[in-house]
Amino acid sequence: VVADAEKLKQTEKCCTSMFNTNRQKIMERTDILNQEWKTRRIQPVHIMTSVSSLRGTREVIPLKTLNAVASVPVMYSWSPLQQNFMVEDETVLHNIPYMGDEILDQDGTFIEELIKNYDGKVHGDRGETLSRTNSDASKKFPSDKIFEAISSMFPDKGSTEELKEKYKELTEQQLPGALPPECTPNIDGPNARSVQREQSLHSFHTLFCRRCFKYDCFLHPFHATPNTYKRKNLENLVDSKPCGIDCYMEYPAGVVAERAKTPSKRTVGRRRGRLPNSNSRPSTPTVSSETKDTDSDREGNSMFAEGNSRCQTPVKMKLSGEAEAADWSGAEASLFRVLIGTYYDNYCAIARLIGTKSCRQVYEFRVKESSIIARAPTEDEDTPPRKKKRKHRLWATHCRKIQLKKDGSSNHVYNYQPCDHPRQPCDSSCPCVTAQNFCEKFCQCSSECQNRFPGCRCKAQCNTKQCPCYLAVRECDPDLCLTCGAADHWDSKNVSCKNCSIQRGAKKHLLLAPSDVAGWGIFIKEPVQKNEFISEYCGEIISQDEADRRGKVYDKYMCSFLFNLNNDFVVDATRKGNKIRFANHSVNPNCYAKVMMVNGDHRIGIFAKRAIQTGEELFFDYRYSQADALKYVGIEREMEIA
Amino acid sequence: SSPPLHGFLGASCKANGAVYPASSAMMNSVKKPKMEQIQADHELFLQAFEKPTQIYRFLRTRNLIAPIFLHRTLTFMSHRNGRSNAKRYGMSDMFLFVTGFFFVALSSHLQLTFTGFFHKDEKPSQNSENEQNSVSLEVLLVKVCHKKRKDVSCPVKQVPTGKKQVPLNPDSNQTKPGSYPSLLVSSNEFEPSNSHMVKSYSLLFRVSRTGRRDTNDVTDTPSRKKRSLSHREEGETTETYVAQMTVFDKNRRLQLLDGEYEVSMQGMEDSPVSKKRATWETILDGKRLPPFETFSQGPTLQFTLRWTGDASGKSTAPVAKPLATRNSDSSSPMETRTSNHRTALMTVKESVSTDIQTRKEQVPCEPRQKLRIFYQFLYNNNTRQQTEARDDLHCPWCTLNCSKLYSLLKHLKLSHSRFIFNYVPHPKGARIDVSINECYDGSYVGNPQDIHSQPGFAFSRNGPVKRTAVTHILVCRPKRTKPSLSEFLESDDGELEQQRTYVSGHNRLYFHSDSCMPLRPQEMEVDSEDERDPEWLREKTATQLDEFTDVNEGEKEVMKLWNLHVMKHGFIADNQMNQAIMLFVENRGAHIIRRNLCRNFLLHLVSMHDFNLVSTATIDPFWPALIIAQGKPGKSIFSEYLVFQQPATHYSAVSA
Repeated sequence: VVADAEKLKQTEKCCTSMFNTNRQKIMERTDILNQEWKTRRIQPVHIMTSVSSLRGTREVIPLKTLNAVASVPVMYSWSPLQQNFMVEDETVLHNIPYMGDEILDQDGTFIEELIKNYDGKVHGDRGETLSRTNSDASKKFPSDKIFEAISSMFPDKGSTEELKEKYKELTEQQLPGALPPECTPNIDGPNARSVQREQSLHSFHTLFCRRCFKYDCFLHPFHATPNTYKRKNLENLVDSKPCGIDCYMEYPAGVVAERAKTPSKRTVGRRRGRLPNSNSRPSTPTVSSETKDTDSDREGNSMFAEGNSRCQTPVKMKLSGEAEAADWSGAEASLFRVLIGTYYDNYCAIARLIGTKSCRQVYEFRVKESSIIARAPTEDEDTPPRKKKRKHRLWATHCRKIQLKKDGSSNHVYNYQPCDHPRQPCDSSCPCVTAQNFCEKFCQCSSECQNRFPGCRCKAQCNTKQCPCYLAVRECDPDLCLTCGAADHWDSKNVSCKNCSIQRGAKKHLLLAPSDVAGWGIFIKEPVQKNEFISEYCGEIISQDEADRRGKVYDKYMCSFLFNLNNDFVVDATRKGNKIRFANHSVNPNCYAKVMMVNGDHRIGIFAKRAIQTGEELFFDYRYSQADALKYVGIEREMEIA
Repeated sequence: SSPPLHGFLGASCKANGAVYPASSAMMNSVKKPKMEQIQADHELFLQAFEKPTQIYRFLRTRNLIAPIFLHRTLTFMSHRNGRSNAKRYGMSDMFLFVTGFFFVALSSHLQLTFTGFFHKDEKPSQNSENEQNSVSLEVLLVKVCHKKRKDVSCPVKQVPTGKKQVPLNPDSNQTKPGSYPSLLVSSNEFEPSNSHMVKSYSLLFRVSRTGRRDTNDVTDTPSRKKRSLSHREEGETTETYVAQMTVFDKNRRLQLLDGEYEVSMQGMEDSPVSKKRATWETILDGKRLPPFETFSQGPTLQFTLRWTGDASGKSTAPVAKPLATRNSDSSSPMETRTSNHRTALMTVKESVSTDIQTRKEQVPCEPRQKLRIFYQFLYNNNTRQQTEARDDLHCPWCTLNCSKLYSLLKHLKLSHSRFIFNYVPHPKGARIDVSINECYDGSYVGNPQDIHSQPGFAFSRNGPVKRTAVTHILVCRPKRTKPSLSEFLESDDGELEQQRTYVSGHNRLYFHSDSCMPLRPQEMEVDSEDERDPEWLREKTATQLDEFTDVNEGEKEVMKLWNLHVMKHGFIADNQMNQAIMLFVENRGAHIIRRNLCRNFLLHLVSMHDFNLVSTATIDPFWPALIIAQGKPGKSIFSEYLVFQQPATHYSAVSA
């Protein structure tokens, strides 16, 4: 009971502080709003002064009638988005949907079925915090029996060992600023350690999404790690000229000998470099791999970190025989290892970037470390230099292939996942090929891969079937289509290529108002031409199974924002979306939807079916967009409208 | 009692009795069950036509006061535009024009012969010894003068012209024509007076009537009691009724032509219809009364007006013709009076204005076509019909004189789209089938801001603020077809197309999609909800990164900064990355130095390089500056930033 009371007190405290911070935030936002109103010349609300005057004289105030304002249609809150957002399947029912007391009373079977969909798991049911409460009880390490008992009662909370670990983690006294052991210390911080290149870059490599250019992006759950052996163009790695008087190049002949030696080690170095690489990093998930959440990522990471943390004390680099032996800090050493993987033998550049060491010191340090350092790659023998003729042939085959794909009776469109099968060509075993997708620039295969889409070479607007991109229902790729203008004029809206609107977010200004048909509607501000891009249909990307579960509830509400994206995923604009979600269904619509491949992602574009005038309400045929979208976007809506 | 249908075709027009069922004469003669049937039919008729007619009546009045457009500017009304630039009246023409009218007036006396004062409300005089068989009538000539500079309002002069005893509710069969009281107004009175230039002349009739009244009259309404209190003279009350008619309007045009008139009088004390809320309905004893009920109930004053050269001479002024034909062969007392002029004076003010309107169109005597227009009202799914006829080309709803049949039809079609009009040629003139337009779109097409005028904003305007433009100037020059009556014939197809509304644009109120608050006009231009990086998403990316336990705080901070940068600018291509980094350094460089994140940033760059997104050429150039700035602690951030900036700009110059 005492523990409970304590807990209650704590939650109360927590709530109060949350409330206060929230209040603070509201106040700030109100201030901002008022400021904004000032600049926009919206005059503040006129405040009436008291009518009762001083000397009992009657004062007259003009009477103003406030018209009754028609209420607006119901809207459930949603969060604005301009790009799709992938979410995981929900394994527990977050809440029992409320649809009025009648439904709750009469249609109990619906709720029951719903709960069954989630294996009877409803959020906040029971035992969520049990293990935590227990662990608060005593300071002594509890007997193993307790863990066994908990584990047997709540098998879903993990095994006995896991619970023990969890206990340790939760009860351990945390020093302020202390980091979990698996974490690489901050390279800019005072605790920076000397670690391997892979360890220094681990976070950056694993979290960076090469497709979104963001860390831990919202759209792609699996991020491919970089393939350092595929440089498109080998940069001039070594400065030909010494960087100064003290440059290592001015150093006596021994250096040159040392340098001459290195190439012999190259192949070895590369392998070595590769080995820790593949060991330390979690393997890049492929399409076939099971859902692998970030936990497993972390585990892999922690294993790796433990392996490294054996040498807890930073390795002091003893520069033998050097009089001016420089003291290398952990950060400097780590940085050196990072940079040597990028700059190879360009010690001058490395020294410049480290900043605190001269290139000679760098060179000497490199000599010490020579055994573990990756070498500059030679030009890959298996990729002969490109020749024009070959490319032409390539182009022809691609165009044929596009045609073939189009003719293919298969109506299925599968999600694209970058392929990664080192040293194997993209043949029938390649996931891209089996999914009937092109390889994209994100794939780990060679840029000469036969399955790659070559892009277009249009000089026109790419809005006819003359354009291979348009024909393949793809938007032009700014890294492939270099002549059509898709890669130009990033700042302006005047792009000659008309086939890159979704990626550029060149949407039209839409306005929200009560619909002429049902509920809310969306209206266009400026007139548009036929086939012009209007907006992307954005929302949460959920799996087909999740869509099935959610769809049950939506169908009951007679309101669904589900939109089939491809065979694997569905866009759900219920919780997150953009304004086009308010477009109503019509059998005679003025817009149409088209799922396009946009830089590796399927995205839904809404386009004008005919010329649309200022202020017209937008409609599209919910069913037409995808053959089986019908399944989710109910016909019930039509009945509701009628 | 059911409201009669009189008045569907104009204020001064009475229905043609041919098909029209609801006259009192018929009610008396037809058997009961038939009458019920008629009543039901009548209800149907009213159901269909009453509302739109009332709306158009109201709009007519409103358009008189505040016209939206001038009819004479319409192509099909071009004949109403009396002037062209070529034959504009010169000053002298105008003078002649004006004096010409006065010539008529000056050469004559105005003779008024009073037939009687009718007031059905009271029981007719049962016994002849009752002294209440006559009322006293006073006629005043009201001269409204032009305002002089010192005057606040127009000075009004009232010249008494005489008092007469007028019979109360006389039986028209019994009274001999010669015995009616008569008054003469000298034309001298209409001459301009010396002191003031007279703007308009009008006749004011004032009828006072003394009535005996029981002191314990239970049926008295409170208002009547109040009135009787003020006028009580030992159980006797005096009631005063007034009416005013314009003789010459402010344009000096003669308004009263020869003819028989019946004027609806207004009780002096109780003015049940407030002037500001004038409608075409009269209220009698607290009950609402349709306009023509006034004439059956009273109080009305009947008189004959003549302009004579001398006191007993012939009329010199043109005789006003009845506005519409009425059959005068009916024997009911009401019908006997239908051939007379009826001018419903609801309130003095309104009657004057309407009077002007109708007369204006009559006086410049146009060559009148002897056309009879039959309006055939179709209702109850076109299974029932009623017909009314008119002998002129005035629009029955807004009394506009269209002068030509084509113009009339065009006007009806365009201005009264709540109805569907179909023209059918008729030997005597034309038949117009009137039915209800089921497709009429009566939705509001005005400024949506006006209906939703937002409290707190609409009333706090002290200066100019922006509004949404809902009117646009459209220039359209369609190929005009030659005017032909055939275009009004009923067409088999394209009916729907004709009813299409052409209103487009932002004729609605928009709302913010996040708050459901109305969109203010000045917010129209900015799409407030199109942020690529809405606040919640920015917060989300930060918390998502914070959740990692195996990412150190330096890494997290750089990642967050970078993510926000990418989200803000929406980079989509590999070949944008060099530029993206340059921009990042430009915007966030100072922050990175301040927060001591240089090495983490370098790791980020190397990582980007590993992903083959940037070249070493991007990493190299500005880096030393960053290090230099870092190596000088204690220096102001600003100067560091400046040092830092230099290589960056240098680089872009080189790359450009």
